[in-house]
Amino acid sequence: MRSPQIVAFGGGGFSMEWGNTLLDDYVLALTGVARPRVCFLPTASGDADHYVVRFYRAFAASRCEPSHISLFRRETGVGDPRAHLLAQDLIYVGGGSLVSLLGTWGAHRIDEYLREAWAAGVVLCGGSAGALCWFSHALSGFHEGPARRIEGLGLLPWSSAVHYYEEEDRRERFIEAISDGMPAGYGAGDSAALRFVGTELAEVVSSRPRARAAFVFADASGAIVERQLPVRYLGVSAVEDLPAEEAVAA
Amino acid sequence: MSEVYGPAARAEDPRRILAMGGGGFTMQERSDALDRFVLELTGKEVPRICFLPTASGDPREQVTRFYERFGDWRCEPSMLSLFHLGRDRIDPIAHLLSQDAVYVGGGSMRNMLAIWREHGIDDAMRTAWERGIVLAGLSAGAMCWFEGGVSMSGGAPEVVHALGLLPGSLSVHLGGESERLPVYREAVATGKLPPGYAADDGAAAVYHGTSLVECVASRRGARVVRVEAAGDGEVVEIPEPIRLLPGAAAPQAPSSEPADILELRALRAGRHRWD
Repeated sequence: MRSPQIVAFGGGGFSMEWGNTLLDDYVLALTGVARPRVCFLPTASGDADHYVVRFYRAFAASRCEPSHISLFRRETGVGDPRAHLLAQDLIYVGGGSLVSLLGTWGAHRIDEYLREAWAAGVVLCGGSAGALCWFSHALSGFHEGPARRIEGLGLLPWSSAVHYYEEEDRRERFIEAISDGMPAGYGAGDSAALRFVGTELAEVVSSRPRARAAFVFADASGAIVERQLPVRYLGVSAVEDLPAEEAVAA
Repeated sequence: MSEVYGPAARAEDPRRILAMGGGGFTMQERSDALDRFVLELTGKEVPRICFLPTASGDPREQVTRFYERFGDWRCEPSMLSLFHLGRDRIDPIAHLLSQDAVYVGGGSMRNMLAIWREHGIDDAMRTAWERGIVLAGLSAGAMCWFEGGVSMSGGAPEVVHALGLLPGSLSVHLGGESERLPVYREAVATGKLPPGYAADDGAAAVYHGTSLVECVASRRGARVVRVEAAGDGEVVEIPEPIRLLPGAAAPQAPSSEPADILELRALRAGRHRWD
């Protein structure tokens, strides 16, 4: 049986980096299955049609068994979401509103099913709201006004922030929130992905050469430390040196 | 009319709810009578009206239809997406409380209520109602004001409890669906839901405070039916008197053209007519 694994993207994957498949390839490979069953949860976008279509284009049936669950149109589609989720190799959660995502999941007990699936070794992943949701606390900017603290599902006992270097004030607010007592946690930039085995960070990977991520914590004296994490780029480092046809294929 | 909707009635109790069984712009109803009536209920010259498509996940096409219908009427239309607050940068509660009418779309009542709760919109709706902001909606957006209704949010029809601003229960799309009504009848018969009403597409119940004052329709033949427990697992159903709104759809005019030609025309025009 696979260990519980979560991959949280600071930004990236098919919805943000169309044409760059490195992060999506990485999570597919983590399943260890030749043709993994992959279920997309577009809840945080309100099950936006265009998002579902892009998922099916990115996760083509030639390399996986794709499906999705719409919680806004339950009268169509998957009848038993629990059984369906537990039968997957990979569950991919789309971005959007974290607050609306958590409310909707709670109304259908999806939060419980995801916890079960995680414990059973189904790989969980996602970007933006689909990354923040796994942590105990998140700093989300996907609502009016400044970014604020939101409690997530708590599978990972850390706090989290995404688009960490890209969104204005995100990094400053995250550091401030941790100095105000939010648990220690991870800030992931666009194109960086944090892979957790159990509740511990195993590695940080990226779909772009200079993507970054950091761990922010209070040290013994109470001072706030932001530690840059080593990041492994998933691509070939010097893409421009490749022969033309290979570069196109990539 | 003026006794029912005039300033005197408002001064006594400003709370107004319009609960539609279906119809209106989101369902591409041919008659715009119900949508116009929402504005009329505000009693304002140029009412501010905000559309909330939460129950359908804020799909673009509903928003487009809203502006198509309300855009050139005398009103200030806006919409509130609880999925795009980061982009729109609207304070949702302040925005709601600055309206004259709130129009809630249909979809998953369970999702809508859960999302509203997370954003504090459930409490804001009560405040809006008490301040005299007209609360209007269809389907999930109508049942939500009652103690409960029968929703398809979980796939099969089931009882879902709601905000409870109005006493009793509501079931929607009365003539348009076969599955929902039997579940509603049974829920009322067994006391799982309090007695209430079942409303057709194009029919609506108007509440002042917590009292039903009249039922209105945007097409001839649309019904609102009172459903009460009669003991021994039975219900009694009593049709309510209904007032046809100005601009309501006339009965289908006999046409010399074959039905398939008419259907093709409707398809070409991008219109799927539900009535």
